[in-house]
Amino acid sequence: MKGRYNDEFDDGEDLAEFDDNDFAEFEDVSEDPGTESETAPPPRAAPSENPVDEEEEDDEATVETEDGQDEFYDVDAQDQDMYPKYDNEEFEGYEKSGPSFKDPLILKEVPVHLQNSWESYYMEILMVTGLLAYIMNYIIGKNKNSRLAHAWFNSHKELLESNFALVGDDGTSKEATSTGKLNQENEHIYNLWCSGRVCCEGMLIQLKFLKRQDLLNVLARMMRPACDQVQIKVTLNEDDMDTFVFALGTRKAVARLQKEMQDLSEFCGDKPKSGAKYGLPEILAILSEMGEVTDGLMDSKMVHYVTNHADKIESIHFSDQFSGPKVMQEEGQPLKLPETKKTLLFTFNVPGMGNTSPKDMDSLLPLMNMVIYSIDKVKKLRLNREGKLKADKNRARVEENFLKQTHAQRQEAAQTRREEKKRAEKERIMNEEDPERQRRLEEAAQRREQKKMEKKQMKMKQIKVKAM
Amino acid sequence: MSSNNMADPRRQNKIFRYKPPNTETNPTLEDPTPDYMNLLGMIFSMCGLMLKLKWCAWIAVYCSFISFANSRSSEDTKQMMSSFMLSISAVVMSYLQNPQPMSPPW
Repeated sequence: MKGRYNDEFDDGEDLAEFDDNDFAEFEDVSEDPGTESETAPPPRAAPSENPVDEEEEDDEATVETEDGQDEFYDVDAQDQDMYPKYDNEEFEGYEKSGPSFKDPLILKEVPVHLQNSWESYYMEILMVTGLLAYIMNYIIGKNKNSRLAHAWFNSHKELLESNFALVGDDGTSKEATSTGKLNQENEHIYNLWCSGRVCCEGMLIQLKFLKRQDLLNVLARMMRPACDQVQIKVTLNEDDMDTFVFALGTRKAVARLQKEMQDLSEFCGDKPKSGAKYGLPEILAILSEMGEVTDGLMDSKMVHYVTNHADKIESIHFSDQFSGPKVMQEEGQPLKLPETKKTLLFTFNVPGMGNTSPKDMDSLLPLMNMVIYSIDKVKKLRLNREGKLKADKNRARVEENFLKQTHAQRQEAAQTRREEKKRAEKERIMNEEDPERQRRLEEAAQRREQKKMEKKQMKMKQIKVKAM
Repeated sequence: MSSNNMADPRRQNKIFRYKPPNTETNPTLEDPTPDYMNLLGMIFSMCGLMLKLKWCAWIAVYCSFISFANSRSSEDTKQMMSSFMLSISAVVMSYLQNPQPMSPPW
């Protein structure tokens, strides 16, 4: 055994031999042939058969490595394997199947829900866009309604201030001072209360605009057009108006009022008539308690107003028995006569059918003049004797009917109460455990019944005697 | 007589204060939309939270917006805000539990 290092440093002639000797060293020392194959160094650039053979001859232990190397060389020659070293014998039952590069690569798509891109969230983006559109529409609609309201007020302010001492009141301030501005109830309803005038208590003006701030409503209106409305309600004192009920408006509106309103349904039973007699356009109809009322109201100036602005008039309702729409009566509850108030009601349509501009508000000014004129007119209108008698008879009739209805109801209520009492007594008697007491109570009840019957008989006899 | 026509119709002594109409006696005059939408919004947001349905939560948000747009000025802003917050929380919870995007019904 030569000294390794000495040999290495001397010259390169005996390189192969030295290498063998290197191996030889290790090979002598090691006893486990198995491990040697694992620790075999990687193949050299130019492997030669000779040193292999020589090593085979030298030691038994080298067989393994050479075998390994042999196999390795074979493997290397056969297919270009990615995996540098593995022993076939090690992996028994394992099918060598590496990725074959002959088939084309198939890229599987990543499922949508695992992608992290914004595109897959398009439904959410749609929703948010919808919300933004709703908010935009809210702001635009609110502003439009506000502009329309203020345009109306600006054009009517002078007329109102010259007629009423108090223009604009929200009812909250201590003193009755004019606020001089509209009272906003909603994004689409504005109120104005005017008071302090002869011939009336006060006037409530409601600007009922379309719900422009609600996108749903805007879309619904595309299917079914509607228009903004101005509703005016004038409340009068007892001496400001004579007793009559009258309505005028479009046929549809008048028919609806007749069905819905308490006073119109009771006092104006006839079908709505045409106003052609007075020169009114055909689209308008009249409901009146009596002909005299219509004659008295439809003077030339009124006819002039109505004819010129017939397209804007939805309904006009004058009544001394106004109590609002018919109230649904609850079962078994006797109804009191509803409170009535002398009222003039006007409903006007704003021109433009929804597409109004602030300029259109000026066209409503003549209608306000008509309202003022009506207040004065109603104060002056007095029925003649015949008319007054008729009116009084009508009112008496309605009151009687009402009392009859409630009387029947009150009787029913009293009857049910009596029956309840009897039943309760009977139950008490039944529940009484002591038979003695039971008998006594029963006798007492029987005696009471007998007395009642006797009383009734006496009454009947008396009535008969009186009748005779 | 002519002077009467020119006379000022205003009377300071005849002023009556404004009394807001009592809506309890006239329930038909009130618009029920904001109340319905409020209720609907709450129902949808509870559905969205409990059943983990994203579209329920989104509809709840829309309902609370519609309710707000139709609300009366006399109504409580607290109720509006609470229904709004509930619907937003329903949406957020649905996405926290399940960050996948909504699939369209078609």
